[in-house]
Amino acid sequence: MAFAIRKKRTRELLLIWFFLAPSLLIFALYRIIPLLWNGVLSFEFWSPYKPAEFAGLYHYEEMILYDDVFWQSFWNTAVFMASAPIGILFALVIALLVDTPIRGRNVYRTIVFMSYPVMTVAVGIIWQWLYNEDVGLINYILRSLGMSGRGIPFLNSSTYALPAVIVASIWQVVGFYMIILLTGLQNIPQSLYEAASIDGASAWQRFKRITLPLLRPSIFLCFVIGIINSFTNFDLIYVMTDGGPSHATELLVTYIYRVAFKLGQFDYAAALTIVNFAFFVFLAWLANRLSGGEAGAVEST
Amino acid sequence: MAGVSLRKVVKRFGDNEVVHGVDLEIRHNEFVVLVGPSGCGKSTILRMIAGLEEITAGEIAIGDRVINELAPKDRDIAMVFQDYALYPHLTVFKNLSFGLEMQKLPTAEIKDRVEHAARILNITQFLDRKPRQLSGGQRQRVAMGRAIVRRPNVFLFDEPLSNLDAKLRTQMRTEIKKLHQTVQTTVIYVTHDQIEAMTLADRIVVLRDGYIEQIGSPDEVYNRPNSVFVAGFIGAPTMNFVRCRAEGGDGGLALRLADGSALAVSPALQERFGRHRDRELVLGIRPEFFQLVPGGNGAHIAPRIHVVEPLGSDTLFFFDLAGSEVVARMPPLTGLEPGDPLPLAIDMDKTHLFDAETEKAV
Repeated sequence: MAFAIRKKRTRELLLIWFFLAPSLLIFALYRIIPLLWNGVLSFEFWSPYKPAEFAGLYHYEEMILYDDVFWQSFWNTAVFMASAPIGILFALVIALLVDTPIRGRNVYRTIVFMSYPVMTVAVGIIWQWLYNEDVGLINYILRSLGMSGRGIPFLNSSTYALPAVIVASIWQVVGFYMIILLTGLQNIPQSLYEAASIDGASAWQRFKRITLPLLRPSIFLCFVIGIINSFTNFDLIYVMTDGGPSHATELLVTYIYRVAFKLGQFDYAAALTIVNFAFFVFLAWLANRLSGGEAGAVEST
Repeated sequence: MAGVSLRKVVKRFGDNEVVHGVDLEIRHNEFVVLVGPSGCGKSTILRMIAGLEEITAGEIAIGDRVINELAPKDRDIAMVFQDYALYPHLTVFKNLSFGLEMQKLPTAEIKDRVEHAARILNITQFLDRKPRQLSGGQRQRVAMGRAIVRRPNVFLFDEPLSNLDAKLRTQMRTEIKKLHQTVQTTVIYVTHDQIEAMTLADRIVVLRDGYIEQIGSPDEVYNRPNSVFVAGFIGAPTMNFVRCRAEGGDGGLALRLADGSALAVSPALQERFGRHRDRELVLGIRPEFFQLVPGGNGAHIAPRIHVVEPLGSDTLFFFDLAGSEVVARMPPLTGLEPGDPLPLAIDMDKTHLFDAETEKAV
C-alpha cells in the first residue's frame, strides 16, 4: 500500500520536473550561468587570447579609486533615475485629465499612450531630428521666438545633452505611466468620492486624502519601472549620443558595453556589471520596502 | 427637526426620463422605505436627496430649506452605501472621524463622538483595524457608524444589506431598526427587498418605472394594495392572480374563471362582487387565504398538486387554477403528495379584485 503511494508520488514528481525542465534549462543557460560566470570573471584577469588569472579585487579597486568615467556614468544613471518623478507627475496630470468625462477621452488616451510602443531606436532618431542644431523643430521654435540667435547643439553640448536625452526618455515612457496610473484611478470606487463629498471633503481634499493614498501602489510601480528604465535605457542613448559628448550622457549600461565590446576589457566590464547589478537590486529592494511590498497592488475594500 | 419634501421631482439622463415628477412628504423621525424592482428610480431619488445627482426639475427640501443647489456636505445628511464605501487606507477610527475632521471639530469632541458611535454599534474593539480586516457585517456597522457620528438630520441608506448573506441580513435589519429607535432621525431607506421594506418601514413607498405606485404603512400596502403591481411585489410567496368575471345575479352570483369553472360567492359577499358584474377582473388571493377542507365539503376548488415545498413552519402547495400557477400556504405535515387532489376553500372575504385592463384595485 505504502509502496503504491510512493510509486504514484514518484511518478507525479517526474511529471512535474518533465514540464519544468525546458524552461529551467533555458533560464539556467541564459540567466544563471552567465551571471555566475560574470561574477567569477570580475575577479580575474581575462582576455580571449590568454589563460585566466586570479585578480582579486583589482578591477573593483581600479573602478572605485581611479575610474572617473565610472563615477560619471554612475552619477548620470542616478540623475536619469531621479528624473522619473517628473515623468510620473506629468503622467498623473494627464491620467487625471483623461479620467474625467471629457469628449473623446479615449482618443486622447490612445494618443498619449502611442509613444510607448514605438521602437526606442525610432524614438531616438525622432528626437535627434527635433534637437538638430540647424533644421530641428526645437531650435526653429527658439529662433522664431528670438530666444536664441544661433541653434543650440543640444546633443553635442555637455550641459544640455543629458537633460535632452532624459526628455526624450520621459516622452517615451509617459504614456505607459499614464496607463498604469489610469488603471489605478479607475480601481478607486466612485462611491469613495461620493462618501467623501458627503463627509465634506473639497475636491483638493478628496485628491489628497483619497486619490493619492489609494494610488500609491500604482505610483510605486511607475517608480520601479522608472528605475529599471534608467538601468536599461541602452538603445536610446546609443542612438542619440552614444554616451557622448565626452561621457556626458554615459550611463552604466552604455559604459559596460563600451568597455566590453569597444575596448575589449571583458574582465573589467564584468566587474562593472556586478556593481551595476548590486546597485539595481538595492534600489529595487528599497522601492519595494518603501511601498510596503505592494507596488502595483490594488487596495480593495 | 427635519422632514424631507419632494415636490414634482424629475430626473432625466440625457433624453431618458427616469423619475417622473415624484411628490413625497416625509415626516421628522419617520422611517420611509423606497422599494421597487431595479430600474424603478429608487436609488436615483435617494442620490438626488443626497446631492450626488442633479435634480432635473422640481424641488427637494429638508426641513424648510430647499436644497436643490446645496453641496452634499451642506445638506446635513449622511449616507450608507451599498458597497459601504469605507476608505480602505484608513483605520476604522479614521473612517469614522474623516467627516468630523473635515468639519474641523476639536480633537476631543471627534474622539468622543467616534467612541460613542463605536459603542452603539459594538465596534469599539475594531477601531484600529483597516476595513479589509473586517467581516461583511462589521464593515456594515462601520459604514453606519460613519453616518451616526455626523449627527445628521436625515439618514440615507442605499441597499445597505444587499451584500450580506441571508442570516446576517436578518440580524442587521434588526440592528438598523434598533438604531433608528436609539438615534431618532429621519431615515430614507432604499431596497428592492420587500421583506426589508415590510419589517423596517413606518411607511413604504412602492416605485415602478419612475412613478410612485403606492404610499402607505406596511399594513396598508400588504392588505390594501392599490394595484396588481403592488400586490404582486409585496408579500412572499407573492399573491396569486386569476382572471375572472362576476356573472349571474340575485343571490346566484359566481366568479367565472378562464377555464369555464365557477367559484361560488357566499351570500354575504354577493354585493361586493355584484358591483363589478360582467367586467374582466383579476382576482388576487394571498397564499395564506386558502383553507384545506379535508372532506371536500364546501370546497371551492380541488386541483391536483404539482409541487410540494415544505418550509418547516408551513408547507407550500403549487397547483394550477384555470391556467394560472397558484401557490397555497398550509400548516405543515398534511401528508399530501404531488398528484393528490387538494380540496380548498378560498377565504373570499380576504381576496382582492383588480380591473383586468388598468390593473388597479376596484
